[in-house]
Amino acid sequence: MQNNDINRQDQEILELLKDYPMPAADAGFYDQALVRATHEGSRRQRNRWLLTGFGAAIAATLAVWVVGGMLLTNPQIPDERATIPGVTIALEEARTVNLVFASATALDSATLTVTLPDGIELSGFPGQREITWETRLNKGKNLLPLTLVAVQPAGGELLARLEHDERNRTFRLRVDVT
Amino acid sequence: MSNAEQNLAFERLVRPHFDRLYRLAWRLTGARPEAEDLFQELLIKAFGKLDDLVQIEEPGSWLCRVMYNLFVDERRRFARRRLHTVEEGQLAGEGLQGLPGSDSPVRDHERLEKLERLDKALAQLSDEHRTVVLLHDTEGYKLAEIEELTGTPVGTVKSRLHRARARLREILVADGTIS
Repeated sequence: MQNNDINRQDQEILELLKDYPMPAADAGFYDQALVRATHEGSRRQRNRWLLTGFGAAIAATLAVWVVGGMLLTNPQIPDERATIPGVTIALEEARTVNLVFASATALDSATLTVTLPDGIELSGFPGQREITWETRLNKGKNLLPLTLVAVQPAGGELLARLEHDERNRTFRLRVDVT
Repeated sequence: MSNAEQNLAFERLVRPHFDRLYRLAWRLTGARPEAEDLFQELLIKAFGKLDDLVQIEEPGSWLCRVMYNLFVDERRRFARRRLHTVEEGQLAGEGLQGLPGSDSPVRDHERLEKLERLDKALAQLSDEHRTVVLLHDTEGYKLAEIEELTGTPVGTVKSRLHRARARLREILVADGTIS
């Protein structure tokens, strides 16, 4: 491709970027945010000593609440297998892939574990081969965007394991690096 | 200082920077709820540091840096929020439908279509690349300002900007948005 073409394309992209919109804040948002900040800021200052002293107790209570929430749910694991195509990405390229989860019901506190193949990282988590987090699935189709970055000329199979209430399903995605 | 005086002093310091901060929050997060959360959390944190804030020569820049650090911390510590599932169809295009129109509906439609494709292309960039390209090319930040904001050396910022633009070009040429 000619340099002139690239320059023209870059100029066109630059014009689009300059035009890229951003909605204004809702009317009254700034005032509400100020009021909340002064109230919440004052409350946090007053309670700082309390949080410091009883932090461990609060953490323990939270853990019990999370476990209790999982036990109380009566979920149905998604029964529709999502079709996830393989993806080929260039070295040092970031590429967002969307994993599709279809769920018959809303699922709270599902655990999702992504295991990455050699040479692939998840953007924002450099050096981590396995990332686990809790999430919530809505009833119906859910999209989970994962931005993958190829840091080495390797690749392989990415596994996304969804667990809820002792049931699980594993999704596989082939990631090739060119 | 009474509570009322403290609140007033805080407001005088931060309110002149609200639009700039909201824009930054939006560009970092890309969605209204997250932008509002980030903006709110910044104000709460700043209020707790009011004694420091009154001494700072450029509170606007300081607030931007604190916001950026809050964003990065939030992303690292609460990965589950960033990676939260979203309903199909909600990924891209937020905020684009309300664009002001011109006298030419056809041109408006083409413009909106191109911006929606740009939106999707931006979603394919890494956080670092998207942030740099939006701050520099959309918001008009200088490279040195991005360095100061993010703590990333200018050389790295330049390299990210170059790669981000190249990737955008690749995507937008491939999908026919530009030729």
